Amino acid sequence: MISLPIVDGNPSDSGVKVWRSLPHLEQDPQLIETASEEFFPGASDAPSGSNRRQFMQLLGASMAMAGLAACRRPVEHIMPFADRPEETIPGIPLQYATAMNFRGTARPLVVKSYDGRPVKVEGNGQHPNASGASGVFEQASLLQLYDPDRSKSTLRTGTPANWEDFLSLCQRLQTGIRRVAVLAAPDNSPTRARLRTQLENQFPGALWVDYRSEGDDAESMGLQMAYGQALQAAYDFENADVIVSLDADFLGPHAKNGGLDTYSFARGRKLNGAQDRMSRLYVAESTYTVTGIMADHRRRMRSDAVSQLASQLATALGVYTGATPDSFASAIARDLQRTNGNCIVVAGESQPAEVHALCALMNYALGVVGTTVTLLDTGTPVQVAQSQSLPALVEEMRAGRVDVLLMLGVNPVYDAPHALDFQGALERVSDTIHVGLHVDETARESTWHIPSAHYLESWGDGRSQDGTLTAVQPLIAPLYEEARSEIEILALLGSGQFQRGYDLVRETWMPVLPGEDFETDWRRVLHDGYLEGTSYPSVAPVPSFGGQLQGPGTGLELVLRLDPTVLDGSFANNAWCQELPDPVTKIVWDNVLVVSPKTAEDLELSCEYSKGRYYSDVVTLAANDQVIELPVWILPGHADDTVSVTLGYGRNISTTRSERDTPFWDKDDETDVYARGTLATGVGTNVSLLRDLLARPVISGVELTKTGRKWTIVTTQDHGILDTEARPIVRMATLDEYREDPAFALQGEVPTPGSDVKTDFQDYPELWKDSHPSKASAFRDSDYWQNQWGMVIDLNSCTGCNACIIACQAENNIQVVGKKEVGNGRELHWLRVDRYFVTEGGEELDADPKIAVQPMPCQHCENAPCESVCPVAATVHSPDGTNQMIYNRCIGTRYCANNCPYKVRRYNFYNWSKTIPGTVQMAQNPNVSIRFRGVMEKCSFCIQRIRGAQKRAGLEKRALQRDEVSSACQQACPAEAITFGDLNDDQSQVSQAMSNARSYKLLAELNIKPRVSYLARVHNPNNALGSAG
Amino acid sequence: MASSTNKTVTLPAGADPPLVTGNLGFHDITQLVSYHTEKRPPSAWYMAIAVSSTLLCVLLIMIAYLVWNGIGVWGNNNPVGWGWPIVNFVFWVGIGHAGTLISAILFLFRQRWRTAINRSAEAMTLFAVICALLFPTIHVGRIWVIYWTLPIPNQMEMWPQFKSPLLWDVFAVSVYFIVSLVFWYVGLVPDLATLRDRARNALRRRVTGFFALGWTGANRHWRNYEKTYLLLAALATPLVLSVHSVVSFDFAVSIIPGWHTTIFPPYFVAGAIFSGFAMVMTLMILARKIYGIQNIITMDHLEKMAIIILLTGSMVGFAYITEFFIAWYSQVEYEQYAFLNRATGPYAWAYWTMMSCNLLFPQFFWIKRLRRSIPFLFITSIIVNIGMWFERFVITVISLHRDFLPSSWDYFNPTIVDVLTFAGSFGLFMTLFLIFLRYLPMVAIAEVKMVLPESDPHYYHKHDSEGEEH
Repeated sequence: MISLPIVDGNPSDSGVKVWRSLPHLEQDPQLIETASEEFFPGASDAPSGSNRRQFMQLLGASMAMAGLAACRRPVEHIMPFADRPEETIPGIPLQYATAMNFRGTARPLVVKSYDGRPVKVEGNGQHPNASGASGVFEQASLLQLYDPDRSKSTLRTGTPANWEDFLSLCQRLQTGIRRVAVLAAPDNSPTRARLRTQLENQFPGALWVDYRSEGDDAESMGLQMAYGQALQAAYDFENADVIVSLDADFLGPHAKNGGLDTYSFARGRKLNGAQDRMSRLYVAESTYTVTGIMADHRRRMRSDAVSQLASQLATALGVYTGATPDSFASAIARDLQRTNGNCIVVAGESQPAEVHALCALMNYALGVVGTTVTLLDTGTPVQVAQSQSLPALVEEMRAGRVDVLLMLGVNPVYDAPHALDFQGALERVSDTIHVGLHVDETARESTWHIPSAHYLESWGDGRSQDGTLTAVQPLIAPLYEEARSEIEILALLGSGQFQRGYDLVRETWMPVLPGEDFETDWRRVLHDGYLEGTSYPSVAPVPSFGGQLQGPGTGLELVLRLDPTVLDGSFANNAWCQELPDPVTKIVWDNVLVVSPKTAEDLELSCEYSKGRYYSDVVTLAANDQVIELPVWILPGHADDTVSVTLGYGRNISTTRSERDTPFWDKDDETDVYARGTLATGVGTNVSLLRDLLARPVISGVELTKTGRKWTIVTTQDHGILDTEARPIVRMATLDEYREDPAFALQGEVPTPGSDVKTDFQDYPELWKDSHPSKASAFRDSDYWQNQWGMVIDLNSCTGCNACIIACQAENNIQVVGKKEVGNGRELHWLRVDRYFVTEGGEELDADPKIAVQPMPCQHCENAPCESVCPVAATVHSPDGTNQMIYNRCIGTRYCANNCPYKVRRYNFYNWSKTIPGTVQMAQNPNVSIRFRGVMEKCSFCIQRIRGAQKRAGLEKRALQRDEVSSACQQACPAEAITFGDLNDDQSQVSQAMSNARSYKLLAELNIKPRVSYLARVHNPNNALGSAG
Repeated sequence: MASSTNKTVTLPAGADPPLVTGNLGFHDITQLVSYHTEKRPPSAWYMAIAVSSTLLCVLLIMIAYLVWNGIGVWGNNNPVGWGWPIVNFVFWVGIGHAGTLISAILFLFRQRWRTAINRSAEAMTLFAVICALLFPTIHVGRIWVIYWTLPIPNQMEMWPQFKSPLLWDVFAVSVYFIVSLVFWYVGLVPDLATLRDRARNALRRRVTGFFALGWTGANRHWRNYEKTYLLLAALATPLVLSVHSVVSFDFAVSIIPGWHTTIFPPYFVAGAIFSGFAMVMTLMILARKIYGIQNIITMDHLEKMAIIILLTGSMVGFAYITEFFIAWYSQVEYEQYAFLNRATGPYAWAYWTMMSCNLLFPQFFWIKRLRRSIPFLFITSIIVNIGMWFERFVITVISLHRDFLPSSWDYFNPTIVDVLTFAGSFGLFMTLFLIFLRYLPMVAIAEVKMVLPESDPHYYHKHDSEGEEH
């Protein structure tokens, strides 16, 4: 029972003391104890039961507890829209044009928002410099917004601090002479440029360094070297007949302009008729990349040997005097010259500026500048290479000549070369301010950390690749009150006054929109997302090259690249990105040291496949006095004597989220990828440390030692060589073969046993032909019957860049299962991109295989084998010809998945959707059910999009327009490889594509009548080089 | 009747050996069989029930863990949607075949030697089918709505999907279970009456009396009984063939290479009889030894079972080879690869375990000395069941793990939960079987008496005349 102390009548401070006895005066402990009550405890209690006071206490407590039971949830104020915001109809999504800064360029986007909550990112198709497609990173940026580990509050030396304190710091900094430096991620925003000037005016001598984690922007430096001014090149791959890539992965998802370049490249290879033209792509590269997959001739070589090829090529073209061209280089040169100015030579990011300059020279000599290569004058002054400016800044910092360092969206403690000792220099700066999405490596070492607002939460602007002014507008208020955008902090530091991003951007745009009515123009810009006619002017100066090409290095070469799934590590805490298989190796949740089979043999490295997982040798890699450990991965087609690895792993991000801990019988803590702190922490190894002071991506003479330990590597697909003869899964031919027989793909059909006659599978005898469900009146009488949905995937366009996978994941609420469960074969991607190594004429796997990629969604078979085996009719055919999965009805026998010949059905082995963190729940598409544990799921042809479009058409009392519906994968695909639509409409894109001569259906011989057709792939080899190329 | 034990029976040369040895009379048989349900069980029984009920508890814990967490606690993955649970299901259904075969088909074929083993074989069938039913039940992802597989009228007007072989399974196996249960119970009625008549305490008398349905052994009772038994045997006979045929449809009706095979129904039935007899043999060798009923379940019975094992084992082996031949003959890459992958792929060890256990070992039964050797019979019966478990593993897992598109190929690894659940199902089976041994007559008393020479209506006439000659 609760006993309350008796009020002590002892006034201690008044000076006058009232006392009863001497022991009382002397504070005798024994007396105090007994005197606390006049009688001993309990003496005054009622003889039995409760006394009045206890009764009242109990009564009160029980009342209080009864009241508590009714308020388990915190009180929230749910307000009706008394005044409905304009154009807002609950449940009807709104779309806003915005843009995302990707590696310094704005990528124009349209973002879909449900009830104020952005749920899907698409490309802005109306933008003059965008295709309407989007890539892996645009799609995945949505989950960045909802990342549960995002930084939420201002930190001062690691502890939560007041925003007011930071404000006053900035005000204080305005007075006196401060030496300010800014280290910022590249961004071509005009507002930022304006604020930079403001800052430089306020703090004379302020240093500004654009910081790229991958090091120098070799392309810009190369162009600058050749032309003497800061230029930017834009390539028109569509109209190029011959494209030469010197280690350039320009189609890669991480490429600076990957989306647009893929779009134009794919357009240059669309084959609708037998006589259509098709470009030819030569690729020289060290590791296998997405661009290498698309190559017609691929030459694997060390990255530092590519400059030799460039030199040979330039010599053959007569613009340089270098090495004597070999047969490969001279054949390419002849091919380039043959095109009469419709060709492109590009060099890659891992190549030094000299090679880029030589490319510029070659392009100029080939007369393509102005036709397929456009040089844009960005108007920026001559740039200093990062390899010069960054060490200079660090030197200043170390010398104590920097008082304030502002770091905007960068993480140099993690990714600056170790030789720089950035962290050490940081300690010498009195005020270091880090603005970022996460409490990352740099945030923890800085005196101040300000949570950065995501681009979907902030106002801003930028320029697209061609310079078109593009607006960035928020779709949601910052999820965390203290989050501020980078320009707001920059303005604050520059002026001492906090200004809202909106005002900052408008101020920049005032002079840009000088018309009578700024508001109208401004609204127009926000609506469209861009301002027409603001692209950079194109110029055509004369290049020169006085540089010296370096010869190939010695010893083992290491090449560092940006990762096609987590980029430089900024997407490392993104579950979608971590679980996205690498386009070539298909590895998830890891970075590996990629080596060729021969190099692996020479170095006695192994990567053993056992029981669904790979067990790789862990090696130590030593360069520039740094040693790291990495598991190896043996990749056929990789160049010998060189190894490659991607940046962006080995992150260490802090979080305030508590770890999920469940009792031993509950596996939630094991199956929840978010259960153990931040996702990125502990995945892979940070390799950026190995770089030298100049952060060069190619390191010669690395030392590689086996540790004797093994590391488990998980892939979504096993190694395996495809015998295209026996299993005509991916069908391929050369351009000549295609011209001879455009329908060559059907040659691949399995002949009827015992004869050479190909069977038309449409003519297969069919059981119950007349009583097939599709003939039933329930189908025929349905309104849905008038549309029959189908899909065509052009294997000649698909690069395997993964954009479709992430788009599908974002659209369809596909959960992430983590490394262990992917290893168990339980990944949930509805759409996968299959990768096959293809060798011809019984070559060894090691030699130089081609790679074929094939996106694999549900094929929506008309005679679906999954439907007939479900005991509860949970998967059925819709009248509009899609194979539907009824989650509510599914009891989870998994029979359908077994009987699917494409194995595209995915099963919820655990309750993955149960443990999604609250913020990630906001990323879920409200039009798609979240699947419970124990049910099957699979590609639905984005049925919610079909029904949405039909609903819209119904409301507007009109018929569905031609090609009005697009699937998420189709919309994202930068190569336009996926066509989706109504097969009942002869004029629809999909019907047109299906009638393409290259069309074939996979496993048609099973008589399952898939609704997805593939267009066979065509290679365009140079006959002068032979097929081996 | 007691005097009959001293009577020596001499058989004419060339006649079949007696089905009951040791010169047992009617009362001896009653006494020998009933006695075990009335006395304290042997200590071996206690040890066995301790082990098996522990395993049963493991099973229950594993099921609770499974239902709490989801199917992910097993090794099943994307290409291999069915793993051990379905392997175990087919394994137990197969074992559950011998009982009805012995009871019904051998009854119709007037194989009188069946009487010694039919009771326990039928009991074994029931318990095996219970184990079998358990696995498809727990292997669904949402066990709480499994009743949707039953055609229960509902306001959604939603019926099960009758084209699905899984639904056929539901019907086939549940019908088989019900018919087997009725058949077994009908056969038990006269023996329950015997127990009732021998009962010393009221409770036992009341319980056995209730289940004996007022059996008095009247002529009218016997006539009805014989008719019912014959009818039920006729009803059960097609089920023996149908159940495993339907189970094989789960595979044969699909389109997966290695599953899509028309040979499956007869091959599965042969395999089921094969494994069922092996299981009966394992259990009978132990029971006859422990309970001292070697005179009722004689060496001749065991030898006959061995011959059936040899026959069905050869049939199964023939089916394995036929599958290979057809795969080659089809000229279909996918089929050819599926079988090549069985023999040489990552699961080749499972395939060759199956081949040696099922095809090779039973061939030793060509040698009479071996098929009359208790240790050899015992070992072989266990090996056969190991082989038959692997047969189902080979069919289910190896076919699934590599099918049409090499991109989806993966490997299946069982988890500890898979292993313990399977082990636990033996706990369930053995617990039920031990309870049966404890409380019910393990040998059909009435039926065994019918095969005694004395039950021949002409027996006394013949023997009396023989006696006159002496």
